[in-house]
This record gives sequence, C-alpha cells and structure tokens, in this order.
Amino acid sequence: MDSRVQLQQLSMSFGDFTAVHPLDLDIRSGEFFSFLGPSGCGKTTLLNIISGFLTPTSGTVTIGGEPMASVPANKRPTSMIFQNLALFPLMTVAENIEFGLEVRGISKPERRKVSDRLLELVDLTGSGDKRIDDLSGGQKQRVAIARALAVEPRVLLLDEPLSALDLKLRQHMRSELKEIQRRTEITFIYITHDQGEALTMSDRVAVMSAGRLQQVDEPMTLYQNPATPFVAEFVGENNRIAGEVVGNDNGRVQIKHPSLGVLEGISTEAMAPGTACSLYVRPERLRLVGEDASPVNRLQARLDVVNFEGAFLMLESSIEGLSDPLKIQTEHSTMPASLTKDHPVSLVFDPADALVMPESAAEGGGHAQGLD
Amino acid sequence: MLKALTDRFGLPVSVTILLLLWFWLIVLVILPQLIMIDYSFRPNLLPAQMGGPEDGYTIGNYQTLANNDIHRTIFFKTIWSSILVTFLTLVVCYPVAYFLAQLASTRQAMLIALLLVIPYWINEILRTFAWYLILAFQGPLNAVLLGLGFIDRPIRFLSGDSGVLIGMVYAYLLFMVFPLYNALESLDPNQVRAARNLGAGTIRTHWRIIIPHAKPGIATGCIMTFMLAAGSYAVPALLGSPGSRWFTQIIYNWFFEGGDWHMGAAYAFVLLILCIGFIALVMKVFKIGLGDIGR
Amino acid sequence: MSAQRFFHYTIRVYLVVFFLYMFLPLIIMSLATFNDSRFPTVWPWRDTTLRWFGELWADTAMWEALGTSVVVGFGVLALAVPIGVSAGLFLSTYQGRAKNFYYSLMLSPLLTPGVIIGISTLIFWRNLGVSGGIGLTIIAQTTFIAAYVMLMVLARLQRFDRTQELAAQSLGATHAQIVRRILLPYLKPAIITAAVIAFLQSFENYNTTLFVRGFDTTLTVYIATKVRTGLTPAVNALGLIMIMVTVLAAVIYELLRRKDLDKAGKGT
Ligand SMILES: Nc1ncnc2c1ncn2[C@@H]1O[C@H](COP(=O)(O)OP(=O)(O)O)[C@@H](O)[C@H]1O
Ligand SMILES: [Mg+2]
Repeated sequence: MDSRVQLQQLSMSFGDFTAVHPLDLDIRSGEFFSFLGPSGCGKTTLLNIISGFLTPTSGTVTIGGEPMASVPANKRPTSMIFQNLALFPLMTVAENIEFGLEVRGISKPERRKVSDRLLELVDLTGSGDKRIDDLSGGQKQRVAIARALAVEPRVLLLDEPLSALDLKLRQHMRSELKEIQRRTEITFIYITHDQGEALTMSDRVAVMSAGRLQQVDEPMTLYQNPATPFVAEFVGENNRIAGEVVGNDNGRVQIKHPSLGVLEGISTEAMAPGTACSLYVRPERLRLVGEDASPVNRLQARLDVVNFEGAFLMLESSIEGLSDPLKIQTEHSTMPASLTKDHPVSLVFDPADALVMPESAAEGGGHAQGLD
Repeated sequence: MLKALTDRFGLPVSVTILLLLWFWLIVLVILPQLIMIDYSFRPNLLPAQMGGPEDGYTIGNYQTLANNDIHRTIFFKTIWSSILVTFLTLVVCYPVAYFLAQLASTRQAMLIALLLVIPYWINEILRTFAWYLILAFQGPLNAVLLGLGFIDRPIRFLSGDSGVLIGMVYAYLLFMVFPLYNALESLDPNQVRAARNLGAGTIRTHWRIIIPHAKPGIATGCIMTFMLAAGSYAVPALLGSPGSRWFTQIIYNWFFEGGDWHMGAAYAFVLLILCIGFIALVMKVFKIGLGDIGR
Repeated sequence: MSAQRFFHYTIRVYLVVFFLYMFLPLIIMSLATFNDSRFPTVWPWRDTTLRWFGELWADTAMWEALGTSVVVGFGVLALAVPIGVSAGLFLSTYQGRAKNFYYSLMLSPLLTPGVIIGISTLIFWRNLGVSGGIGLTIIAQTTFIAAYVMLMVLARLQRFDRTQELAAQSLGATHAQIVRRILLPYLKPAIITAAVIAFLQSFENYNTTLFVRGFDTTLTVYIATKVRTGLTPAVNALGLIMIMVTVLAAVIYELLRRKDLDKAGKGT
C-alpha cells in the first residue's frame, strides 16, 4: 500500500491574506509526520487542503501517486480526527465507529465485526452501546480514533487531537497513538503547537511559522541542528545572544557583542564580517565554573532564580547588556551549595555547542524546504 | 447563494431548499402584497366597464377614506386605542417579567413560566369569550360590584370601547411578557447591585439601568402588541358594539358586505402602512434593528 | 421595612393579582359550562348539569368545523414545516451580504396583521381563479406559520457543531447522507415541536382564516359565530375541552423542550 503524500507548490490565500506560502513536501508511506508551529501559522489550513475540505489556491496534493485535485473530500483515502473530535452525539459509540462503513453500504454484521475489532484496539471492548455523552474525555478520544480507522484510510489526519485532555492523559495517549500507528502502518499526519508531542511521537517534523516551512527533519536533528533562528527558539529551550560577525574560519565564527565581547560558535554557512547574527546555546550546554576557567566564551552573570525541576535544576541568571536572562540547566551534584540567589557566577560553553545564524534567516526560513 | 448551499447539502437538497424558499417568499409573501397594493389603486368596476376608459389607476379609494368622517374617526380611534393597549400591556407586564427574570428562584421561575405558557396557548377567541361572559350586563363583574355597593346599577361594559381595551390587554399580554423576559434575563444582577451600592433608589435603578437594558425586549413587545391590537378582528367583534367599531371591521365590511374589494384593499394597505410606520418609529426611538426582533 | 423590601413585597402581591387576572376568566368560563342556565353565566347558579356536553356532542355543525380545522391544521403542517426547515437551513448556511434582507423578509409575515395576510392572499389567488376555502386557508396560514417554524429551526441550528458534517464527509458520507443521518436527526426535536406549534397556531387562527375561508368553517370561526349568534353553554363546554387539550399540549411541549435543553446542555 503506497500512502505517500506529496505536496507540490501548494499555497492557500484567503482574500489578500496568504495563510500558506507555496511549499513542497514529501511525506513517506507509513510515516508519523508532524507539523509543528504556533497557533495561526496555517497548520489546520494545510490539513484541510490534504483532506479535501479546502481547495488550494495553487499547487497539487498527491496521495499514493494519485493526484487528488478532482477527488472530493468524501472520496479521498484520508480520514480526519478533529480538534473537538466532532463525535456524533445522537449515535452510540458503535454507531459512530461504524458510520463510515454504513455510508459505504456495508452490511450490519460486517460492520459489527469491524467495530468490535476496533473497540478492542482502542481498549474500549464492551462499550459499543454507550452514549457519547457518558464517556470520559479520554474515551471519547479513543472513539474518535477508532471511528477514523474504521474506514481503513491510507492517511490519518490529526488536528491537535490531544489538546483538550489533561496533562496525564495527554502523555498516555501519546504513546498509545504511536503504538496504533506502528501497528496499522498508516501514514499519520499530525499537527500540534506542542513541541513535546511532536518530538516524542514523530518520525519527522515540519516546523512552520507564518505559513512557511522552516525546517523538515527528524526530531533529533531539529534539536541539534536547527536550520533557522525560529526553529532554534521554538524547538526546546535556547539562549540567544545577538551580535555581529567579526571573524570566520572553517565553520568557526567569532561574533562580537557590545558588552560581552567576542564569543565563538560554529556555523554551517559562511558569513561576511559585519553580518548581524545570533548565537544560540542550549541551557544544558552552559556550565558553571570557577574564576580560573578558560577565558574563551566565559560570561559573568548574577544568579536570579533557582527552579527545582525534579531531575535537574533550571537556573536563570542575568547579565549586564542582555535583555533576557540566560537559562542554565544543571545537575544537583554539580551545583555548589554555596551558590544562592544574587550570587555572581561564571558560565562557559564550548564553541562546538553554540550555533551562529545570520539574522536574515529569521524572515525567509528559506534554506530548509521553503522555496520562495 | 447556490454554491454555499451545494457545498453543504449537495445539489438535490439545495434545489429543494431554494424552491420551497422561493415559493414561500415570492408566491406567499411578496406577490400577494404587491397585488393587493395594485388592487387598491384600481376602481371597482362592473364587468361591462372592464377595459373601458375608467379601467386605470386611481387614488379614489384612498380619497374615500380621507373624506369619510366616520371611517376616518374610526381609523384614528384604532391608532389611539392600540397605542393605549400597548402602553397598558407594557405597564402590566413589566413587573411580571422583571420578577421572572431577576428575582424568582429557579423553581418559582419554572412555575411562573408554565403558568404563563398555558394561557398563551389557549385560543384567542376563547380568552376573549371569557371576558365576554365576565363583562356581560348580568355577568359576575357587575354582580360583584353591585354586591360590594360600588355601583347601584349594572354597567354596560360591552357597549363602549372599554370592553375592547380590557380584552385586548388580556389577549396580547403574553406577546409582551416573553420578549421583556428574554431581554431582562440577560441583565447581570451585579449591575443592579452596583447601582444600589452607588445610592440609586428602586425607581431610579429601573429607569437608568434596567429599562435601558431591556430596550430590545420592550421594542419587540410593543411592536407585536401594537400590530396585534391594530389588526385585531376577534376582540372588537366579540367585545365591541356597533357603536364602537374597529378599523378591521370596516375592512371586513368592504369585502363581505360592501362587496368592494378594491376599497377594502386600500383600507388594508393603509393599515399595513400604519403598522410599518409604527415598527419604523419604535426601531428609531429604541435604536434597534430588525435583526433584534424574534431573538 | 426598607424601600427595597417593600418593593419585593409589593411585586409579590402584584404577581398574585396578575395571575388571578390571567386565570379567573378562564375558570369562570369553564364553570359556566356546568350551570343549568340557557345563557352561559356563573351568576345566578341554577343547578349543576352536564347536559351541555351532550348538546355539544349532538351538534353536527361543530363536528364538521372540527373536521375542517383538523384538515387545515395538517395541511399547514405539511406545508409550513418543510418551508420553515428550508428557511432555517438557508439562513444558517448563506453568509452573503443579503442575509439580513432575507431574514427580515422571512420575519415580515409575523409583523404583518393577520387580516392583511388573509386579504392579500384572497385577492392574489382570486386573480388566479382560486376562491376561498380550505385550500386557501392552508396557504394563508402557512404564510406566517412557516416563519415560526423557521425561528425554531434556526435557534437549534445555531447550537449545531458543524465540524460534525466535516467529520461525516471525511468518513465518506455524501451530502445527502449527511443531511439524512446527521442534520435531520439533530433537528428532529425542533421539527417535532415546530409541528405541534404549527398545528396549534393553525387551529386557533381567526383573523386570517376569516377572509380566506370561503364557505368553510373552522372550529375557531364556529365558536366566534356561536358567541355572536345563538350563544349557549355548549360553547363553554367546547371551550373547556379545548383548554384542557391545549394545557396538555403545552405541558408536553414544555417537557419536550426541557429534555431537549438538557441534551443540548451536556453537549459533546
Ligand atoms: N476561512 C478563512 N478565512 C480567512 N482566514 C482564515 C480562514 N481560515 C483560516 N484563516 C487564517 O489563516 C491563518 C491560519 O489558520 P489555521 O490554519 O487555522 O492556523 P493553525 O491551525 O495553525 O492555528 C490564521 O491567521 C487564520 O486566521
Ligand atoms: Mg488549528
């Protein structure tokens, strides 16, 4: 079963407003693929185009090699799970699950077999005759999944399906969704504004901002090698120090900050001296050190806040000349007991752990997949 | 228009919807009114005169109304009495609606709502007939008044306009209570408390806070009541006397006794204009739109 | 006693007086049924009797009028409900500039005096060669009763979650299947109450019917005629029965509405 989803030069405008800028994307068969981006960036619009609810302004959608342009929503090999689930309140659980088969004219006993199997899959065996209103949030969630799977779609589209659940349930459903995807081998296209969801479940993630693709990669790559400042800041925690390129040799870049002096990081692209840029370093890559440490990339700061996060501590410390405090993640064991609030601290980071990106990358997001 | 519908319902259902809608709006609502207006500007002709020189548009029917003292007087009396009925109904209903919306506990409110709904669903003719019995010359009202010594002689309630007024207030009360209630229900009780806190008395609170909030409800109630009163045939027919005729009764006579439908159409159109004028006036005074009517 | 307490006290007294005013006439009318007097009255009370029910039972003209009313009621129901549902669906779908215009136009029959609806219908159809009678009565009443149905359907549609339609579509349902399996079942309670109300509205209508009835007499017209010519307590007996039927209908309607509200309150 080929369930690749290809988007070619796809774009969507509402009047003067462009919700999705032209983009190309190739989602592999059987992949768990996520779109991650802040609310309003065009995720739902994209999903609605793939499902056939919206006709794109330009471009094409191809599923399993078949162009979808003339295929209406109810004939596409996709099925969708909605943000609010949209279960049918006047039907029982089983009738909800069987609805897609009923409208295809499949006989009652056949349908019953399918719904029994799916109820088992989502762990709701025996709940077929319940009313939707009598289910808990998590159970409704599972019914929605079972209902969408009943029609044996090649592609399952999920629009922030976990956002209405509480934290515990959300985390539980993550692993369950992943498990269902693994067993059914269906292509999942999942959209969310929650990076935790996207990073834990997905094979690949597309990060979106303001209707443009910023980067499409595996979760690990997104975290370690963000392609744009947006991705660096949106995926995981990051510290940003803005400056100006002063030196550049073989991937090593020196930047100058007006009050912190020269700092060093790495970059994947050549930047001419004088280019405005940002240096990103993750909280877990900042180390607390004594006065005698190496002078490269050393920052003098004052400790403001110590947050206990369970497995580790998250510190915030302010530096003269930086508007936002720096975040530092540290183990309990490496934290000297004498360090308390308002104490001066020295921080260092390895140049290899610091990514330097030109400021201009912030607008285009061009070099990942976006094509304009 | 068709696209929005077919996107949602598909072609066959959409076409059915539009056909039913157009049948209603064009054949039942618009065309009859237009034909009635056309009719009102034509003279009443014998079959032999049709197509002759006199067969054309004329304002003669309207001139008849303007020149006929009795009809004119009845027309103005109908306006004036309908306004009076509207005002009385508003005054009678306001406390009830206010209590129901703001003061009543949930159980009280349910009971009152049910008590209001029941007479609402009872036939207008029956409600009017009930007053006919009460107001009768030898009826219970006269008996009670006589027994209490308020009067020495029974009163002929049914030979003036008073019976008609009482009957109309009674018959149309509920068209006032429910719009008022709907508007008052949405008032945040904290607003009333805040006004009290700031030192406003009961009457001032109503005048400055509650009544302005209820404006759309008051407007809807007044429009409905006035329209029903001015257009009522049943109540004046049952509770009035030949000496206290209503404008609708004259219209009826043109149709079924005078045999001049053109004249009747002209009179009916004047009544329609009156109601439209009243609606426009109320909407202007209360600064509301048609969309606010009917919730 | 503070001014506010006094106000609350007064308003309660007022309510009692108000409901006496609402119900006393109906009670007096009902009581008069049982008084053995030629003219319906409760004063003086001659003797308690049930004979007026017998007279009513034997009144063939009454039965004929009742039959006419029922035929008209079902006719109106059959016409006004589909029209009103269509209008509600239309208004909840169409978002164009003329939406307000359509809404006002559909509301206008409720703001037009009933006699005028009767008159314009009578004139219009006479031009087409149709004269007064049961058919014209159905048409005239439908003109404004469809607007009531429209309001009720619209009110329910406003609480409808339209993603259900998208969900059905994504599961493969055609437009027709969505209408049949999702939309109509959702609207069913509103359609049922609208049908009951349409029937009652038709049954009790007088002002419009008077002009378009031709030589046919509905029960309401019959009562009005009886009151003016040949009034006997048999009319009260009829009134009493009609009150009891309407109270029953009103109570059932209220219960249905409550149930409906409960359902909507829970939501999905
Ligand atoms: N039908 C529409 N008409 C106009 N603008 C729309 C429409 N649908 C979505 N938009 C706009 O497109 C942008 C993207 O919306 P959406 O795809 O829903 O974002 P997301 O799902 O990422 O939160 C938003 O700014 C939204 O206001
Ligand atoms: Mg969204």
